[in-house]
Amino acid sequence: MKKITLLLVAVFATFSINAQTADEILNSYFENIGGKEKLKPLKGIKISAEVNQGMVIHLEIYKMKGGNEMTQVTVQGKTLNQGVFDGETLWSTNFMTQKAEKMPAEATVNHKLQMNDFPDPFLDYKEKGYSVTLEGKETIDGAETFKIKLTQTPKTIDGKKVDNISYYFFDTEDFVPIAMQQEITSGPAKGTISEIKFSDYQEVDGLYFAFSMTMGAKGKEGGQAVTIKKIELNPEVDNNMFKFPEEISETKE
Amino acid sequence: MKKITAILVLFIVFNFTSLYAQDTIILKSKELFGALSARHIGPALMSGRINDMENHPTNDRIIYAGTAGGGVWKSNNGGATFNPIFDDYCQSIGAVELDPNDPDNTIYVGTGETWPRNSVSIGDGLYKSVDGGTNWKKIGFEKSERIANIIVNPKNSKEVYVAILGALWGDSDERGVYKSNDGGTTWKKLLYINPKTGCADLAMDPNDPNILYASMWEFRRTGWSFESGGENSALYKSIDAGKTWNKIHNGFPKGKLGRLAIAVAPSDSNILYTVIEAEKDERKGLYRSDDAGESWKQLNNDFGITVRPFYFSRIVVDPRNPEVIVKGGLSGSISRDGGKTFKSLGNMHSDIHDITFDILNSDRMYFGTDGGVYRSWNGGTTCEIAENLPLSQFYHISVDDAEPYNVYGGLQDNGSWYGPSSSPGGINARDWNSVGYGDGFRVLKHPTKNIIYSEMQGAENVWRYDVDNKRDKTIQPLPQKGKPKLRFNWNAPMAISTHQPDRFYMGSQFLHKSEDMGDTWKIISPDLTTNDKSKQAQEDSGGLSKDNSGAENHTTIFTIAESTLDENVIWVGTDDGNVQVTQDGGSTWTNTSVNIIGLPKNIWCYHIEASVFDKGTAYAVFDGHTMNNMNAYAYKTTDFGKTWTNIITDEVIGFVRNIQEDYVNPDLLFLGTEFGLYITIDGGKHWNKFTNNMPAVAVHFIDLQKRTNDLVMGTHGRGAIIIDDISPLREINQEVLHKKVHFFKTKPTVLNEESNFSGSFGSETQFVGQNPTKSVQIKYYLKKRHTFGKMTMEIQDLEGNKLSEVSPGKSKGINIVKWNYRIKQPKVAKGKTFSFGGFSSPKAKAGKYKAVLKEGKETYEHEFEVIYDPKSKLSKEDRELQYKTTMKMYDMTQKLAYMVYELDAILEKATVLKNKKLISKLTTLKKSLVITTGDNYVGSAEPQLREKMADLFSKIAGSYDKPSSSELENLSIISERFSIAKKDYAKIKKKIKFLEELKLKTFDEFVK
Repeated sequence: MKKITLLLVAVFATFSINAQTADEILNSYFENIGGKEKLKPLKGIKISAEVNQGMVIHLEIYKMKGGNEMTQVTVQGKTLNQGVFDGETLWSTNFMTQKAEKMPAEATVNHKLQMNDFPDPFLDYKEKGYSVTLEGKETIDGAETFKIKLTQTPKTIDGKKVDNISYYFFDTEDFVPIAMQQEITSGPAKGTISEIKFSDYQEVDGLYFAFSMTMGAKGKEGGQAVTIKKIELNPEVDNNMFKFPEEISETKE
Repeated sequence: MKKITAILVLFIVFNFTSLYAQDTIILKSKELFGALSARHIGPALMSGRINDMENHPTNDRIIYAGTAGGGVWKSNNGGATFNPIFDDYCQSIGAVELDPNDPDNTIYVGTGETWPRNSVSIGDGLYKSVDGGTNWKKIGFEKSERIANIIVNPKNSKEVYVAILGALWGDSDERGVYKSNDGGTTWKKLLYINPKTGCADLAMDPNDPNILYASMWEFRRTGWSFESGGENSALYKSIDAGKTWNKIHNGFPKGKLGRLAIAVAPSDSNILYTVIEAEKDERKGLYRSDDAGESWKQLNNDFGITVRPFYFSRIVVDPRNPEVIVKGGLSGSISRDGGKTFKSLGNMHSDIHDITFDILNSDRMYFGTDGGVYRSWNGGTTCEIAENLPLSQFYHISVDDAEPYNVYGGLQDNGSWYGPSSSPGGINARDWNSVGYGDGFRVLKHPTKNIIYSEMQGAENVWRYDVDNKRDKTIQPLPQKGKPKLRFNWNAPMAISTHQPDRFYMGSQFLHKSEDMGDTWKIISPDLTTNDKSKQAQEDSGGLSKDNSGAENHTTIFTIAESTLDENVIWVGTDDGNVQVTQDGGSTWTNTSVNIIGLPKNIWCYHIEASVFDKGTAYAVFDGHTMNNMNAYAYKTTDFGKTWTNIITDEVIGFVRNIQEDYVNPDLLFLGTEFGLYITIDGGKHWNKFTNNMPAVAVHFIDLQKRTNDLVMGTHGRGAIIIDDISPLREINQEVLHKKVHFFKTKPTVLNEESNFSGSFGSETQFVGQNPTKSVQIKYYLKKRHTFGKMTMEIQDLEGNKLSEVSPGKSKGINIVKWNYRIKQPKVAKGKTFSFGGFSSPKAKAGKYKAVLKEGKETYEHEFEVIYDPKSKLSKEDRELQYKTTMKMYDMTQKLAYMVYELDAILEKATVLKNKKLISKLTTLKKSLVITTGDNYVGSAEPQLREKMADLFSKIAGSYDKPSSSELENLSIISERFSIAKKDYAKIKKKIKFLEELKLKTFDEFVK
């Protein structure tokens, strides 16, 4: 009889997997990466990463609660700031002049919509006004995944409001996302689907992060890998570094 | 207890696969293929057939093209470029419709093209997207085969009408007009005539959604005939949203009718236009009603209006002017006087199927033709092609053994071509070469000479083209004394021999053989077909409009295969079901199709593949779609056709057109079906659909390039598609599948030294075909997708010294990692700006290396080799000199970098200490070492030692050649200058007391 009970458990386990809801999947996800209670108090992270384009480029990425963020690219000892946001202004360093330039107003407006996404857009998504639906299963990288659609605040593209939708693919075994897809909504690649693949989840002070990301176009081979070397939780930062430098003076060498 | 038994049964059913899997691993499609991916090379310069154009009702930047064989494409920029949005589904499209109330999100796609020429594909139902085309759901009409129109009530999104043209080659009751009141969940048939009559066109009154017009068409095609028209073709009107329908024929010609088009003027819904195919030529043509169909007047029966009604019957009225109408046709026609007179549209590809006006400006028009989408800015007078739609429709494909190899093939309505499989900057439109007119079919390269054979429809011309001298002549077999008239298929078979390079075969009802490249022909068979006279009356084909294009020629040979193992063994397949084989070079023939159990009689033998492993072994595939049989058929014989085994499983969806045997592993087979590519690694026991960057497009022909092991597919709607190097599939067996990691064997990689000159002009809006990689490819199988924990890959020399880090693939199944055989770029001194030369990475030397894969605690190693191009003229000594010089400069660059690093640290400290003398000395030295002012563009400063050193390093490292004497001379100047700088620096450094406290990195730490 014991055997039969075991079998029964197995059978019901099969059924319950089939009947997952989006929220159940997200709950398992948060549990598996360390728990919501650990994630919520996070004030910011600093990511040290490398991009290998034949030439190795070092990146330092800051993402802070409240929206401040910055990517520092170091090339030949020179540091260029990319995608810097202080809550108001989105800016980057121009490669040619090495001076800070503001990003287009629309990009800034759209970037502002993500201010509350740290540390995870799915965390308290209802309070943020987002919605989540389970779209079924799909095979990604040979692995079975749950396809979850995340709808965020509409973006503005060429003066028009457009839906802000992304799809996350959660591994059905581990309940962590292994891919994210999003339609490119502006620029020459508009209308094509971008894809980021996640792997190498590793623990940092009780929380799991994907230490490897590959960015490319959906279904196409290739893509640019970003390898994360180190993640620091709640880093000490001077908030002034996110501010757009209004006047540029020649820095002394 | 009963309950428990039931649960047990359930359990067994649910878990049987997993229990079984412990013994045998069966991977399905994406689990198996992993990162093995297809690349598309076009061509797009002639594009392919378009079935339907669709505007967005409020955004004039958005245009959709529903294509005959290449899916649905969307433009976001007013037709400048398009993106495919329907790749996973049936690629033959009938109609695209946006819900006018929710046009950004709700899209309906009806599959199955509706201009039913002989070569049309089939649809498999109606699809709907509610998120702008990201996700699709099939919502019915599985057996509809062709959907002509979809109309959503502009006042109520729930009300959807669908016009089903239906099956072309057989009876079907899934035809007529259907309506849904719940957005497509349930459907009601509103108008149905009989199993032979479908709805060819449907229109709604723009002012009153209850008023509908439907044209019903009686039509039928067989493999050998076409019939348009009958008693049941008619134009109907409903004024009660489709509940009741009445014929509106007041003023119509008497007798049978054929295909009718209907259009309502958007700006005045009393004005209707129809084009009528009638019994009498003088009564055919354009008719107009000014009273919403109460009465009709004939206006015009010009050629442009009456030509081939089955192929061209679309009428479109200018949305702002009811007197401006456009009609599809051979050239397309436009009238500005309400249909009384027409002029041809501007020059563009012939065969215009659909037209749409811009929503805001009638001067802007879009045309869907047999050769892609055209745009006009001046009301259709001047037309320009959209250049990024790779919709070319191949009937056949072949490859040669050049390097890079070329791809040859013929296209529906677009001639014959060849182009390279790789080209600097990608495969561009200009890389393709025309080698034939008309419809193109088979194109074959002479095995040894620079000669190409090509043909046009029905072997009306078969060309032998001398590529070097640009001379062509026609060589088709001509009628012979005492022999009956030759019957060539529209897509006439030709074949070459691996035994005799000058041998050339053609098939009519006879097999023709030439030993002198087509100058002299000999018939080496009796009539190998059924010679069924009832299938030879093509002159009477067409129905109400005669249509004898040669496309319906039947009882002909369709495929020829000479065994590569024995030239006397020749296989011949016919379009009427015979599989003939001779084992004595044509003296005696045996029809073996009678031995195939379960094969429908007279079914089209589409391809025979003679095995390269055994001369008695062959594969034959059959396509019954022209008999209204959409099943898949593929068989194998090992005894010259005495017995045949079915190798199809129910995993294969869609009728089969081609099969390709691997050259190495007899169990590895590739199957081209109407809905894509299938691959088996176990001789046909299981088939896996290949979907990695491979649309569900009809694969008409497959070839395998022997040197590269590239699988080259001729698709009928998405051009040539290549899967580079399928060799990993050869190695996969149960032993491999049970390993955690398995590295596949790879051939040595040639260090590429070819120039990158390409000139990418025009690529902003032109399709550019993807090149194969030139990098080293490390290929391995992973049993499980890697998600948790660290996984890295290093490239090391055999002693274990690290040369590079690469990012490993993590997929379950096959992974492909690329290494560009370069080591890390040198660490370059920090200056005010970049040293562009310092971005160069030296190439590794030829030799053996290993890839070291680390996953958690496990380490896996794989050795591979890179070699110099055997064509290179450099000696071993030259190579050695180049490598040594490059590395010398590499080291020098890094030493300078370290010197500047130290100097900067000292300078910083000196500044703190306000040691003016030291600051001055250091600053002067530094200014000679690196650039300290300016920017990275035209504001750049005069180059200093760093720039000169790095530029020479880059120049030498990037050259295919050994260093020249002038480069070496330059090197000695730089070396000298560096020596002086080092001495100057040493002098300064000697006197500094605080070096220790700076805690500087060592050189090794610094360059790491």
